[in-house]
Formats: sequence, C-alpha cells, structure tokens
Amino acid sequence: MLGAPSARRRGQWRRSGWVSDGVARVGAMSRDMFALSDRQSLDDSPIEEDEEALQEEDHDIDQFNDDTFGPGAVEDWEEQHDGLADPTGDPDDLLKESNLAESISKLVIDSDLEDPAIMRAVPSNPPLQAPPRPNPSMWEGPMVFGGIGNPFLSHLEDGRALSGSKDSILPKRPAFGRGEERDLSDRAPPPRSSSPVIGSPPVRTAPIGTPPKHMSHPTSTQQPSILCPTPVHVRAPIHQRFSAPFNERMSPTQLLNVANSSLRAHHFQSGVTQVLNPLLLGTAQQTGRMSPSHFARVPGLMGSPLTVMNTNLLQSRIGQMMPPITGFQPYFSPAATGQLQSIRSSQSMFRADTTHLHPQHRRLLNQRLQLQNSRNQHRGQNGSGGDRHSRGSYHEQVKKDPYSNLMTQREKEWVSKIQMMQLQSADPYLDDYYYQNYFERLEKKQAALDLNNEGPRKEKKERMKLITPQVAKLEHIYRPVQFEGSLGKLTVSSVNNPRKMIDAVVTTRSDDDETKEKQVRDKRRQTLFTIERTYSLVLEVQDLEKKFLQVSEEERPAVLEHRKAKIALMYENLRGKQPPSSDRVSDDHFVQVMCIRKGKRLAAKVLLFLSTEQAANVVLATARNLPYLVKKDSQDEVLPCLTEACSILVSRLPSSALTELLQQLTGSTPSGQPGNHFPTILQNKFGLTLFYMILSQGERLQSSEASSELMQDNRWTELVFAVIRVLLKVPQASLAKPSFVPTNLLTLFSHYVDRQTLSLLESKLQLSGKLR
Amino acid sequence: KMNYMPGTASLIEDIDKKHLVVLRDGRTLIGYLRSVDQFANLVLHRTVERIHVGRKYGDIPRGIFVVRGENVVLLGEIDLERETDTPLQRVSIEEILEAQRVQQHEKQEAEKAKSEALRERGLSVPRTDTLDEY
Repeated sequence: MLGAPSARRRGQWRRSGWVSDGVARVGAMSRDMFALSDRQSLDDSPIEEDEEALQEEDHDIDQFNDDTFGPGAVEDWEEQHDGLADPTGDPDDLLKESNLAESISKLVIDSDLEDPAIMRAVPSNPPLQAPPRPNPSMWEGPMVFGGIGNPFLSHLEDGRALSGSKDSILPKRPAFGRGEERDLSDRAPPPRSSSPVIGSPPVRTAPIGTPPKHMSHPTSTQQPSILCPTPVHVRAPIHQRFSAPFNERMSPTQLLNVANSSLRAHHFQSGVTQVLNPLLLGTAQQTGRMSPSHFARVPGLMGSPLTVMNTNLLQSRIGQMMPPITGFQPYFSPAATGQLQSIRSSQSMFRADTTHLHPQHRRLLNQRLQLQNSRNQHRGQNGSGGDRHSRGSYHEQVKKDPYSNLMTQREKEWVSKIQMMQLQSADPYLDDYYYQNYFERLEKKQAALDLNNEGPRKEKKERMKLITPQVAKLEHIYRPVQFEGSLGKLTVSSVNNPRKMIDAVVTTRSDDDETKEKQVRDKRRQTLFTIERTYSLVLEVQDLEKKFLQVSEEERPAVLEHRKAKIALMYENLRGKQPPSSDRVSDDHFVQVMCIRKGKRLAAKVLLFLSTEQAANVVLATARNLPYLVKKDSQDEVLPCLTEACSILVSRLPSSALTELLQQLTGSTPSGQPGNHFPTILQNKFGLTLFYMILSQGERLQSSEASSELMQDNRWTELVFAVIRVLLKVPQASLAKPSFVPTNLLTLFSHYVDRQTLSLLESKLQLSGKLR
Repeated sequence: KMNYMPGTASLIEDIDKKHLVVLRDGRTLIGYLRSVDQFANLVLHRTVERIHVGRKYGDIPRGIFVVRGENVVLLGEIDLERETDTPLQRVSIEEILEAQRVQQHEKQEAEKAKSEALRERGLSVPRTDTLDEY
C-alpha cells in the first residue's frame, strides 16, 4: 500500500507534467481541479483512496511538482519521494502540534502559496503570539536545519573569516527587538531583482531579524549576504513549527517540505530557487552538521560562510533587498578559492581610488585580505613574475598596492603552460620561420660581437632563448563519430570533416576548339605553372640545405642526392627541354619564362644553384636573346635582379666561354661585326652592366695569366675593337647607367687604343671613378 | 618562475604594472594590468580613459576594465618615472570632450566633402565598415 501511492504519484507527474511555476491558482478551486485531474489520470490504475489521503497527496503533489519541474528542482526526487510514502504526513503533525492561528496552518497546507495575488487575498497576518517556550530566543532547542544548529552559533565566534567591522549591507539595519520583528513580518517582502544562483548554500529558513542567541552586539561582523541570496522573509512565529519536527531523523525532503512551505508563505517570485538546497540538507542530515564539502569550492572557508549567512540573516532587516548576486560570484570564483593563500599579506585595506566599491565588494576584499594575512604571514611570495630590485622597496611597492597578485602564481603558470603548448611544433622552421630566423641572426650577431670583444677569454653571455619542445608531428585523421550497431552513418560535416558540396570536374578542351588567343593564353598559363613549380623546388632545396647541416653524417649523402636531383629538375624547368642534338638550341621556353617578371627573379635564384656550365648556358641564352628581353622588360625593369648572379658566374668563366658570351651579347656575326641591336643593349642598365662585367673579367684574365689564352684568341681582340668602335659612336646620353662600373676597364682599353681615344672613352663612360 | 617565456610576447611579466592599451575603436586606456589569459584578454584596474585632441589630453576614470583580447591593438608598459614627462597638456574632462566633439565634427565634414567630390567625378566611396578606422 505504501509503495503504490508513490508509484502512482510518479506516474501522474510524468503523464501530466505539471509545472507549477507562477500558475495563478485560486484557493480551493484549483485544488479541486487538480483533484479531478488526479482522478482522471488514474484511469489505468484504479486504486481506492480515501478523501483525506487524496487531499494530502494533492498538496504533496503540487509541492513535489514544483520541486521536480519548477525552480526548486530536486535532483534525486525519486529517492526523496519514496520517503514521502509515509501516510501519516508531516503537515498534519505540524498542524496538530501548533496552536497557532488558523492562517498559519492554512499557509502550511495551502498549496497556492506562490502567487502574490493569492497572498494578498488571503488574510495571512496572524497575530504573532509569544511562543509558549520559556526561552526568549527561537534559536535554542532544535535548530532550524535539523541537527545543524549549534555549530553555527559556535562559529559566530570564529573570527577567522570575519574581518573588522564592515559596512552594513543593509544600511538601515536596526537593533532588533522582538516587537519590531513582529511588525516587520507583516510587511510584504519586496520583489527580488535577481534570482539566486542555483546550488548556492542554503538560505536560512529562520526568520530574519531575530537576534541570534550568542550575538554580543548587533553590529558585529556581518558577512555579505551574497552567500544567501534569497531573502528569507519567514515570519517569526513560523519557527515554532519547526522546532518539534526538526530533529535528526527528519528526512531531507521533509525539511525541504517544511522549509519550502514556510517560505512559500511569502512573496517570492517564481524565479526564486526554492531555498533549502536539498542536497545540502540531505548530507547535513547524515553528518549532523554542515560540512565544508557542501561548499565545495570554498575549501578554506569552512564554517565562515555559514556563520556569515547566519549573522546576516539575523541582522538584516526584513523588507530589505538582498544585494544582487554580483558580489557573490567573485567570492566563489576559482581565483578566490585555495589560491588566495598566494597573495601577499598587506596591511592597508583600501586605497583611495577612483572606483567606488560596492560595500559588498569591499567586504569581500577585506575578507580576502584577511585570509591572506592569516595564511601568508610569513610566506615570501614573489607575486608578479618580474624582477625584484630590493626587498625593501619591493615590499613597499606591494604594500602600497593591495590589488597586486590578483592573478595567482598558479594562474600565471597555467596561462604560460597554454602559451607554451601553442609553441610546440614538429617543424619550427615551418611553423615559426620568422622567430627562428630572427634568433639565429641575433645569435650570430652576438657571436660576432663576442669574438670582437674577446680579449681575454670571457664568459660567453648566453642569450635567453625560449626552448620549445620538438614534438613529432602527429597525423590526425579525423573520423566522424560512428555508433555501434546503428543503421547507416551519421551525416556529420564539420570543420575537420567538410563535406564535398560541389563536384567540380576539370575538363580539358580539345585543340580544335581553341583559338590562337586561347592557345597563347594557355601557353602563358603553362609557363606560369612551370615557374611556380620551380619556385617550390628552390624552397625545397633551401630546406634540404638546412637539413643537411642538422642531419647526421650517414644521412647526408642522401640529402645531397635529393638536392642534386631537384637542381637538375630546376634547370630543366628553367631552360626548357633541349633537343638531343646539340646543334639547335631551343630558347623558346626560356624566353617565355624570362618574359614574365617572376621568371626573371626565378632565374636569378636558380642561377645560384647551378653549376658553372649550366649557369653559363643560361646566361648565354639570356645574352643571346637580350635585345628581345630588354624590350619586354621595359615596363617591369626587373632584369637587374640578374646582375648579382651573373657577376658571380662571369667571374668564374674561362676565356673561351667568356668570348662566346661577349659574342652572343654583342650579337656579333662570326666576322666580328656587332649586331644591330647591340646599341639597344647599351641603353639598358642590365645590358650595359653585363657588358662591363664581361670586359672586366676579360681584363682580369688577361692580366693574370702570363700567356693569356684570351689574347691568343683572335675573336676576343676583334670583339673588343668592335665594341670600342660602337662605344665611340654611341652618344653619351643614350648610355644607360650601369649598376656598377668596374675599375679595370680603363686598363683594358688602354691595351687597344691610343691615349687620345682612351681619354675620350674615359670621359664618355666616366671610367675615372668620379661620382656622377 | 623567474622568466616567463623569454623572447616572446607573453604578458605574464607585465602583470601588476601600469600599461597603456590602445583599442581597436581608438580608445586609449591606462590602467594596471591585473590579469591575462591565453587570448590576451586583459583585466585593467584603476583604468583611466585618456582622450587626446591635438596637444591636449584629458583623463576619465573608468574603474575596472575587462578587455577582450582581439580588440587590443597594442599595449605597452608605462614608465612611472617618466610618465609625467610629456609635452602634452592636461585639461579637464569637459574641455577635452568638447575638443573631441569639435574634432569629430570637423572630420565628418571633411569626409562628407570628400565623398561629395568623389561622387561628382563619378567615383565611389569605399565602404569602411569592416576596417578599424577611427
């Protein structure tokens, strides 16, 4: 029999799903309604119940509904409601015991308590009668929280958490006498502006305004009422009701029941959490006292919040708004918890600052500082991770700044940890190229400086460098979630696993369709692709070179091989495929590449990797086609980027190749006559520079060797004579400004011309070294 | 830990020091950096918003600021010894706000004139909604 009603009740709830929030129900009528619906939903489980039981159950049901679905939701309601199978029922007991006015009993039984309209309608102002008990204070005897009583009071004396006198939260807090308390309880409590945090410590069900038993003075320590966010406007006499049933053996739900019902007597908004946290109560029930674990997040402040709550409740005036939760949160923030101890103790509490601290806030800070004081009296904490100058000044600084070290050491480490984690990389040169490069250069500079500075062997000063761990690159293949035994897969498309939305297929057009223009465009596009591919090759070779330096001895040949292969590919890409017969040299591809700006830059880069022979080949091709390239480059003017690479090459060239180069450059026929386009080359910066470079190299070769090959070759001499003639003919104004003028040109010319011509050349070409 | 991440821009070393922070909307805040996190969100204490107009500036006390990291353009530590060593002239809040208003007005007028001129020539004014221009 006992089991059945609870089962039925549960079934009822599930079926009907009542949510009693803010539902306006009027007195008996609604109760009847519910009674009806009770019975209607009972069709499937016809069980004979008597009227009384039903009524009682209605009340219970409403309450329980509210607990389950309403704001006062209780987690493990099933357990708790099992306990309610007791047919005797508590409200009845209470009624019997109490000799209070009828309205109070009405308050207890009446289920329609949440609604303000109802509240006002029902004459609910019982004349407060003096409790029949001999002791003046309601706090004596069994305590409000069944079994958790006196420990609270004893904690009142605990000065640990409570600092000196604080501002009253509720400024109009009076020195309460009993009479006032009665008056105040008549007033309707003001509406709350914010709802309390669910899971907050339980609010005292004892009436506010009642002085605690052991309070020495009314204005004693008062903790922020933020801990008990809901105002408990329980009428004073109500507590009488509590006294008897509140014993150790009361189940949490009973407590909840009673407390809630009493609280409902007052004007709560629907949003208000039903006060007594049943979990708290439940465990309290077992332990007989509130354990710190309830306030799980504030381990260090055992009894204090409760005492605080207590005193506050007792002291604050009914009708006063409890301060909003805002103050509450920081108190329980993770920063405020065990980490408080790392904060240095500080004497001065408040500084005149521009912020007007909410009195609560100020109190919080006080409390915090107090805690820190008590914990960290002798701990030397280095707060900010910065440097200390001298202990004294540092102390002074910190003394003046009570807000320092709000960020605890642990938090700093935590943030550092995250930052470090972000720096881990498998390939730092890939992920953090600029950082690595920068530090490399810095170190080189330092090394150079050290070398310069070192007279006697000094200690090499180490530069602080962040060493990040090198992690192996993990391939994360994202697999979308799959369930066992399910039919089909989940259609999941996320950032890691994007779904293909458009099926784009590349179709190549046939040659018939293409027009000449399109062909040209395609060819250009192909060239661009080639350039890009070759650039990638250049980057790869650079990486290989870096790798070569880092890798072990055994692996080096392999790296070299790779490098060589890539360079060969590079050359092929740049120069174009040459026909097997060496007679015909095809420059088409190369010229195509060189017409594109990026191609020229690419050539400059590639030249540095090539062997002398291959590089010479490239430069020859350049020289051969220079008139055309110069014309094409007139807008971009990027040719000079080749200067450096060419100069390096030219300086390595043997005489035969040099002669060949000069011949190609001048466009000379075998007979020695320079081509028609030679003057145009002289008008181009790069062309002129290259020309000068060749001549300079020739001179070097001539002067260095005793029996110069160069001189023996007629071609060279002929060519030089020819170019001198051209130089003399060409007007000075049309000559380009070369990137540089080699100094030995004069010497070269002196071999071939007389003094008069020499001076002419000198002035024309400005070979004397005077600045232009 | 003595040296948090040398060679990097970790803000841990800057905690509890006075900083100047420039935000994306152009505001300049000066305050004590109390807390940071991995996104460089900042908690500034005793913050003062400094408005600069020409050679004048004015400070508005603001209290505590929590700045989302992405809105910070730059920040730098203020050398307390040299803080007052500035050629700028400090004025009252009312004055600087008035000056700012005038400056804004002038800017708007100029902008209007510019867009008008462009329109006359058949050119369109680029929309600057997405840019952090102020």
